[in-house]
Amino acid sequence: MVTIPALAQVAQVGLDLEGSFELAMRSLGLSPGAAHLLWLPLPMVLVLVAAVVGVLVNVWLERKISAAVQQRIGPEYAGALGVLQPMADGMKLLFKEDVIPARADGLLFTLGPVLVLVPVILSWLVVPFGQNLLISNVGIGIFLWIALSSIQPIGLLMSGYASNNKYSLLGGLRAAAQSISYEIPLALAVLAVVMMSNSLSTVDIVNQQSGAGILSWNIWRQPVGFVIFWICALAECERLPFDLPEAEEELVAGYQTEYSGMKFALFYLGSYINLVLSALLVSVLYLGGWGFPVPVEWLAGWLGQSVDAPLVQVITASVGIVMTVLKAYLLVFFAILLRWTVPRVRIDQLLDLGWKFLLPIALVNLLVTASLKLAFPMAFGG
Amino acid sequence: MFGFLKKVGDYTRDAVGAANYLAQGLGVTFDHLRRRPITVQYPYEKLIPSERYRGRIHYEFDKCIACEVCVRVCPINLPVVDWVMNKATKKKEFRNYSIDFGVCIFCGNCVEYCPTNCLSMTEEYELAAFDRHSLNFDNVALGRLPTSVTSDPAVVALKELVYLPKGVMDPHGVDPSAPRAGKLPEEVLATLPQATPTTEETPS
Repeated sequence: MVTIPALAQVAQVGLDLEGSFELAMRSLGLSPGAAHLLWLPLPMVLVLVAAVVGVLVNVWLERKISAAVQQRIGPEYAGALGVLQPMADGMKLLFKEDVIPARADGLLFTLGPVLVLVPVILSWLVVPFGQNLLISNVGIGIFLWIALSSIQPIGLLMSGYASNNKYSLLGGLRAAAQSISYEIPLALAVLAVVMMSNSLSTVDIVNQQSGAGILSWNIWRQPVGFVIFWICALAECERLPFDLPEAEEELVAGYQTEYSGMKFALFYLGSYINLVLSALLVSVLYLGGWGFPVPVEWLAGWLGQSVDAPLVQVITASVGIVMTVLKAYLLVFFAILLRWTVPRVRIDQLLDLGWKFLLPIALVNLLVTASLKLAFPMAFGG
Repeated sequence: MFGFLKKVGDYTRDAVGAANYLAQGLGVTFDHLRRRPITVQYPYEKLIPSERYRGRIHYEFDKCIACEVCVRVCPINLPVVDWVMNKATKKKEFRNYSIDFGVCIFCGNCVEYCPTNCLSMTEEYELAAFDRHSLNFDNVALGRLPTSVTSDPAVVALKELVYLPKGVMDPHGVDPSAPRAGKLPEEVLATLPQATPTTEETPS
């Protein structure tokens, strides 16, 4: 939740849904504590629903774009243009038998998928869709996401080990190796952005990029960091070309081999939520978050409207949400296109790329950013 | 010093080259997005099998003389020719004929060698069954003619790529009577110089 002092700071800019909701509740005769308690679950449920709907859209896009790239039609009969196909997939998984192999460790086997999914959903805590449109503007913001994403390999290793299956074990080990290797360049790329905005908070990072619309986005100041971050994000999500933990030609399905029904659905959901989350964070860190290519304040000024007018604020917030989602899904589209463009790398190539290419370049990028920050404090957030 | 710089230069060139190839590949996949689907929406659309398609075998019981040539030319002696010798008339009494399409490899040898042409290939290829024993066709089942793709009202019949008119790639909406690209055998023959029969070529 946004704390009260932080609220006071940002109350001038943008919508304050929490404040107005609590005011309305209090005017109905509730105590401030009760009003706050009533507000608490609303953004959480909303973000959870947004994440799941985002996954459904993502699965549909993945199937349709894959089909188009391969000159097929793709799902067509479940709903208009097959939009209900992900729902059908989910329902099928819901009704499937939940098998725990006889020689598997039941507790770890069940805990694995949960441990994979929970940190991913928890990371949505820090994804901003607007000035006040996030669950919590925690001070450590983006660092929380990096910390949470390192819980995931434990879950993967756990499920791979508990399955008592050689493919699962190999897949789990690969997933752990991959996640650990790519976490470092990822963190270094994020560090360069953090250094420029002097804050770990995602809201501050976006605000630092909102000066001159598209020109002030971080991608122009951090092109190398952007590429490193995107490659690492793909590796963290186990997307092609880095999907070797679940390489079906070698490992059947990696750590997912023994899973079925709802436990498999958790993995499935987790990987897609992670992809959407990574795309959202790329848009937050490098593509100006909720910012419109031309600053909304300028547009309002040209149209002779006050930024604080209620209607303008509602429009600004909606534009912000649309822009964040649009940027994220453009990146998702790019990831899907990349899936059918590049072949899978080998495990040695993967580790080579991570340790011998991305890590040094990320370090150099960080040092260059630091020196540029000292040399040109105006342009690089002194 | 220069050796090190050369290494760095080569490394950078490799990285840029790899990025260039990646961009080219993305261009190819992106270009495919705007192309029309080339797939056939199978249960609703079907391709018309080619003239010499080797599908399920058709058999005419009345023409068969139970010579068992089909059995002998079959790689695995598959056709079952069930006859008994009628001692009184000293003639074969034909009872049953069957081919098991779960085992048949559709090589067409039996059709090729049948002396009375009672065997022939159909264009039927949808032989899926719940029980493999139901693929063992007896002479009644073998005598049924399959529904032709072109005459089935529930199916949109599509021409295969080589049967389309010149320059056409999409079989949808092509006039069924439109001639295929290239010449038919008789048209090719018509262009050849007429061979005059000579006396040497026709010995006694």
